[in-house]
Amino acid sequence: MSEQTPEQANSAPASPAAPNAASQRQRASQLAQALRQELQKAVIGQQAVIDDVLTALIASGHVLVEGVPGLGKTLLVRALARCFGGEFARIQFTPDLMPSDVTGHAVYDLQSEQFKLRKGPVFTNLLLADEINRAPAKTQAALLEVMQERQVTLEGRALAVPQPFLVLATQNPIEQEGTYPLPEAELDRFMLKLRMDYPEASEELALVRQVTRSAKADMLEVTPLRTLLQAKDVLALQKIASDLPLDEQVLDYAVRLTRATRSWPGLAMGAGPRASIALVRGGRARALLRGGEFVIPDDIKGCALAVLRHRVRLAPELDIEGLSVDQVLQQLLDQVPAPRL
Amino acid sequence: MRLTDASVAIRPRSAWEALDLGVLLARRHAGLLMVSWALFTLPIFLLLSLALWRYPGWAIFLFWLFKPAYERLPLHILSRALFGDTPTLKEALKALPRLLKPQLLASVTWRRFSPTRSFDLPVLQLEGLSGQARSQRLVVLGQRDAGAASWLTVVGMHLEGALCFGLIALLYMLLPQQLVVDMDWQKLVEAASGDWLWLDHLSNLIYALVLIAWEPVYVACGFTLYLNRRTALEAWDIELAFRRLRQRLTGIAYAVLLAFGVLLVQPSERAWAAPDQAPATEEKDPQGPEADRLLRQPLTSKAAQESIHALLDQPPFENRETVTRWRFGEEKKPEKLTKQDVEGFAKLLKGLLNLAEFWKSLDTVALVLEVLLWTAILSLLAWIVWRYRDWLAAFAGRVGLPVRLERQIPNQLFGLEIAPESLPDDVASEAERLWAEQPRAALGLLYRALLSQLLHTHRLPLKASHTESEVLRLVGQLEQSELESYSQLLTAQWLNLAYGHRLPEQTLRDRLCDGWRQLFGQEVKA
Repeated sequence: MSEQTPEQANSAPASPAAPNAASQRQRASQLAQALRQELQKAVIGQQAVIDDVLTALIASGHVLVEGVPGLGKTLLVRALARCFGGEFARIQFTPDLMPSDVTGHAVYDLQSEQFKLRKGPVFTNLLLADEINRAPAKTQAALLEVMQERQVTLEGRALAVPQPFLVLATQNPIEQEGTYPLPEAELDRFMLKLRMDYPEASEELALVRQVTRSAKADMLEVTPLRTLLQAKDVLALQKIASDLPLDEQVLDYAVRLTRATRSWPGLAMGAGPRASIALVRGGRARALLRGGEFVIPDDIKGCALAVLRHRVRLAPELDIEGLSVDQVLQQLLDQVPAPRL
Repeated sequence: MRLTDASVAIRPRSAWEALDLGVLLARRHAGLLMVSWALFTLPIFLLLSLALWRYPGWAIFLFWLFKPAYERLPLHILSRALFGDTPTLKEALKALPRLLKPQLLASVTWRRFSPTRSFDLPVLQLEGLSGQARSQRLVVLGQRDAGAASWLTVVGMHLEGALCFGLIALLYMLLPQQLVVDMDWQKLVEAASGDWLWLDHLSNLIYALVLIAWEPVYVACGFTLYLNRRTALEAWDIELAFRRLRQRLTGIAYAVLLAFGVLLVQPSERAWAAPDQAPATEEKDPQGPEADRLLRQPLTSKAAQESIHALLDQPPFENRETVTRWRFGEEKKPEKLTKQDVEGFAKLLKGLLNLAEFWKSLDTVALVLEVLLWTAILSLLAWIVWRYRDWLAAFAGRVGLPVRLERQIPNQLFGLEIAPESLPDDVASEAERLWAEQPRAALGLLYRALLSQLLHTHRLPLKASHTESEVLRLVGQLEQSELESYSQLLTAQWLNLAYGHRLPEQTLRDRLCDGWRQLFGQEVKA
């Protein structure tokens, strides 16, 4: 999806009144490319996942990363935090974690004889919720408000979290003992659910070589990464992405994809309107990441799997047959007609 | 049979009371019944066990199957004992061959499973009925007490089971503890070697022993049920009452009769015969209305009678109708009861034939049922396929069935007309002409023509779900660099126009149109 079409340089902008916007867009695109290259230094392979995380960052959506242990889920997020100048907080979800440990709580100050609000780790720009399914449902629910409304209600007062705000959660798909599956409402708030797969043979070679050379025995270093962007840069990126022109046909394609999941025979439960919204925003972000100046159907189709896979439920018959959600969604994408003019 | 000799009080009873009477009867003659039963059945059991030593299951099955044959002996004893003529053991055993002969085959085959076995036995054995007569008799008898007789059999089955288990448990409890453990292991280890067959035969023997206690009771209960039914049907109790009345009055009856006679014998004033009065009820009275009269007339009384009968035989006096119905199989021919041995043998053969015919009629029924079942299964399958056709359609692609080997090339793809006929002959010139005033139409025409060429000339498997970039990737697989670069250029321009709403530059016109001519020009003209 990262192919740059060389012909785009030739084409003049649609309206000559906005040359400034075009140059801004170009700069934003370059910044995004640079960020991607920087991340690829830390996380070897997994280019699709890196692209998707950047998509979520630009579209200001939250990400749930799923993968077996040792594929670099946490490393990816730490590398992103390193490249990003804003605040970064990390919560290790454990079975005894309390909602107040996430959002914050009031403490009694003996000297001033007053209650003082103590803000939790959620007041940050980049929040890493590690192994999110290890905490019980009540703690997971502490994230519901902040993820959707970007605010936390503490002691009756609504406190806004700093912008941009991005939750990156990880979870482990194989270990189910003592874990609490995320409820649908929580899943729906994640814009993308990413699957990390094992790296290619050549990538794994490079990875092993690099890790064994480093001083810390079994970890990849993130310290040498440069800080590329500040919080306001991210906000600007998000602004530019949301201004990218979007044709009616492409919008229609996104909505058609979402609606198709609701009547698809292999799916017991379809995706809601949040999926259409996430598709369009994801498409815009990918267009910016691609260096394009408008959204094409490929941008929508490229992020459709990540947007839809956690919002649908597989029909029990197919589940018993051993089909995965991804296979069924791929069938769906193969059959929904792409837009043409 | 003399009812007055009966050793039980004959009066109408309820079915349950009759069963109770049966138990009492069996208890009174318990010794004789059980000894005779044991002497008859245990040798048979031993023979069967020895003959089928390797197959204890078959041995006990055969023994069980022949139960109706054994039951004839207790019934014989009971029927004689009821009227005070209790046979000795020797007499009873001597009568056995004669008892076994009639309808033995039927008893141990298709009638074996009748739930009213002991109730039906007296009809066969004491009344000597067979065939049609027997079944009619059974219908009459079974009108009231058949339910109780069935319950008797059901209870008997449970009782046999309970007694068997009880005996086995008792034996097991008497075993020393060490032996039990050892036996469990031995049984586990050597179950296959067949050394433990004697244990199976032991449990068979327990069943045979249980039957000694229970079967006489069962037969006696069936017998008293039968007696009770006949008492009700033939009013034996009333007959007995009359007989008692006669006995009591026999002494004084003569005196009374004499006195009555003395009173009556008086000189009568009209001692001559009565005048000619025809007894009206006499059947063959020559003067009666039935006699032939009016013989000399054209219409004799006989002819008149006949015409009257003929009239009465027609509607509206008689309404006869013929009803035709289907019936199962053939009805059994009435069997004749003879007492000679030769005919007995013939009857055995006939019984075998009957059995075969019974199975043959079952074959026809089975065939019909089979056809019906297959029809039902096939229609069910068809219905399921029709009902879940959407599901099947969804799965067909995944299963990999060769659904469509020859791919239908769509005429319309992505909302564009791409059939070759719908395109102008010279696409490039047409595009050049349109470029100035309708650039969108010109570019659209070129892109449409490109897709059409890819589909029809290069046979690319394009689907409606393919986006522009995916089409490009497919073109890349063709490994034709010229076509690929041209497709890239055209697709980029088309994307710019379609989704970016940006008009292509004028300079590109010649590049695109010339490229088109270069690539496809010859083919179009050819």
